[in-house]
Amino acid sequence: MWTRKAAFTFTGGIALILIGMMISNHQMMILGLAFIAFIVVNSWVSGHGDVEVQRTLSADNLYKGDDLYVELLVTNRSRRKTQQLEVYDNVPHEMKLRSGLNQMRLNLKPGESARIRYVLRCPLRGHYSIGPVSLRYRNTFNLSIDEMYVDHHSDIIIFPQIRDVEEAFIRSRTAKMYTGATTLRTPGPGTEFYSLREYVPGDPFKNINWKAFARTGDLMINEKCRDAVTDLYIILDSRDIARIGTVLKNPLEMGTVAAASLASFFIKRRDSVSLTIYDEKLSFLPPDTGDKQYFKILSSLAGVAPRGTMPLQAVTNSLAARFSRGSPVFIISSCEGDGTVPSAVRDLVGRGHEVTVLSPSSIDFERLVSRIPRMSYEVLKLERQNRLTSLAGFGSQVIDWMPDMDLSQALLQVRGY
Amino acid sequence: MAGEVTPQGEGARSLHLRQLRVQWQIVTLQVLATLALVWMYLEVVSTYVVGSIDHTLLFDKLEEGLGTDLPLGDWLTGEGSDGLARFYVPMGIGLALGGSMAFLAFQTPKVQQRVRLSIIVLLIVMLAGRFVFSYAWQLISEGWSIPGNDVVRLLEWPLLMLLSLVILTFYLLPIITGTKGIWGLSRRGVAWSIGFILLFLGIHAILTFPLIRSQLGSYGEQLTSLEIIVSDPTIFGLVTAEQLSLILIACLMMVFQESAFGVIRQLEYAYRLPDSCKRDPEYVAQMDNLLNGHLRHTAIFLSLTIVATTIALGFHSVLLNWVSGITGSQWAAQVGESIELTLTYGLVISALLFLGIMALLRFVIPWQRFWGLIESSFSTRE
Repeated sequence: MWTRKAAFTFTGGIALILIGMMISNHQMMILGLAFIAFIVVNSWVSGHGDVEVQRTLSADNLYKGDDLYVELLVTNRSRRKTQQLEVYDNVPHEMKLRSGLNQMRLNLKPGESARIRYVLRCPLRGHYSIGPVSLRYRNTFNLSIDEMYVDHHSDIIIFPQIRDVEEAFIRSRTAKMYTGATTLRTPGPGTEFYSLREYVPGDPFKNINWKAFARTGDLMINEKCRDAVTDLYIILDSRDIARIGTVLKNPLEMGTVAAASLASFFIKRRDSVSLTIYDEKLSFLPPDTGDKQYFKILSSLAGVAPRGTMPLQAVTNSLAARFSRGSPVFIISSCEGDGTVPSAVRDLVGRGHEVTVLSPSSIDFERLVSRIPRMSYEVLKLERQNRLTSLAGFGSQVIDWMPDMDLSQALLQVRGY
Repeated sequence: MAGEVTPQGEGARSLHLRQLRVQWQIVTLQVLATLALVWMYLEVVSTYVVGSIDHTLLFDKLEEGLGTDLPLGDWLTGEGSDGLARFYVPMGIGLALGGSMAFLAFQTPKVQQRVRLSIIVLLIVMLAGRFVFSYAWQLISEGWSIPGNDVVRLLEWPLLMLLSLVILTFYLLPIITGTKGIWGLSRRGVAWSIGFILLFLGIHAILTFPLIRSQLGSYGEQLTSLEIIVSDPTIFGLVTAEQLSLILIACLMMVFQESAFGVIRQLEYAYRLPDSCKRDPEYVAQMDNLLNGHLRHTAIFLSLTIVATTIALGFHSVLLNWVSGITGSQWAAQVGESIELTLTYGLVISALLFLGIMALLRFVIPWQRFWGLIESSFSTRE
């Protein structure tokens, strides 16, 4: 495609020829002809974007706030030079360039490569994709320009930050309820032998007891004892109301950090952790332990976005049957805009669950972005205190989590772990 | 894909302007642009100005009219010299002035302000100082009175000096602004320089238009015009010496423009890079590639432009030779002497025909592949 400069040169050339012919001025005609000859000669050779692009990331998964090192290798596949090639690596707008630059102006020789290295700061959790790579090539004199892109993407997951909460549990005044991994006499994933049972389709072959098969002629399966203390259920409120505050500081962001930190702490203790996220729909991750479960939980938390208005009661009603009896339940919610929270908490406590409500103070988050009159703030704060007190009255443990409060500090408010 | 990513490296060279401005490719491009500017100016001056409307003639007329010598010395204005020699010293002054302005542009604002202030004060003192002091002395000695003739006469020299400087500057404007543009990295300077040349050519073209020229009387007769373009071609049998001069003006203008703008474009890009990239050897290597490419293309493509324009202008004679060679008739000779060809319609049409064919050849001849073969063979050698 012609650039503005080329269009002006061509038009100017034609105009000069015509005017020169009109007034019989040879200088003008020759000047015009030279301009057009310049365009013609330059049209013979143009730049190209026949390059191979390969992107390497320092990690596929990162925690929020970490730096991502990116290297983009651009290789000229053609047998001629690229001329003036501008390479621009598209990065998500949520990421910030920390050092280097995600673009370069190149003139690659045949087969030559160039590396673009830059560092991105990832201040927001989420699932991101770096790419495509935009190319813009022009000839040396900027007479022709063309744009294209190489559809090369690199996916990356930014997990929520993990806070160290161990101190909070160690410093709590009462003895811990769960003292570490013990063998439960129930079948499940573990290491110790529990019993033999008949094979059912879907069982992994590695669990087949071949000696028993030789002895009985039937396929028998080794069942293991479940290695866990208990199942821990984390329920995260991801409704639209959880977006109150700034992009970096809002109930949902704090909630994801809390959920990730708690999951990390309990999985390290070999407990089984389940994650429930409710927004416009319900997503339930069954309790499990180990690195795989940890990764699943972090991936789920990375993709959480505020939307929907599902009530907590609907969540607890639909999941009540799946919750193990007596297991602790963490509800991370601002408890705003949902009248069913007290009844849901009451039901859970009634079923024998140890319920802890970790409630980011949405009023204080709102104060970060808009000015609330002091009187209104006091009234709203009082209403919130009443709501939390009523939840505590049902037998749950309630934590009022202020925006400037660290998670371990907030957890110290609750006793009993 | 996750893997080992090394951080940006640091080399001995960097793309900081201080280093980049003395890099040989940049300096070569700037020198090339300056040479093109000087050559173009000399071509324009020798074709249209010298002996016709040059500054020395104007100075002579002024001196004759005023009955006094102008304050600027003849060695400086070029009066008394012949031909292009009249322009050598003024052009040197213009280059020095443009260079000084470019140099000043890179100084701190404080220094710039001081220099400007000094020049203004110097000019005021030089132009009005003697008059002011003499008049003040007259007022002190004689009391309140209008300036006497001897005092007023003191203004004559400054005014004539000012007039001479204005005239000289007017003639040297393309050189001054062009030099400032090239070395002071000013797009505006380059654009003004080209603009002045085009403006001059345009005004000259209008004034030499026969209808207007006849109205100008004896003044019009002084203007140089290239009347006969279709004479016997002496340069490669394609164009006349006058035509080559005009082609040179056009092509040198493009050399000047592309070299000067190329330098500014690349330096602007380098300036905008973050510090870590300026030190990164990858960016340094690619900047070398870009500048080498620019130099190569300026040399090759602008030479090809001169060749293409020359062939285009002589294409009508090539066509007529073919026709006469093929048919053996008198028709070609008759057309060659026809009024249409002399009046340039035929010439322009045949030139555009040639350029059109060359443009269409792009779709027939694989220039890109051809060019690639040359480039890859050079790269292998490297």
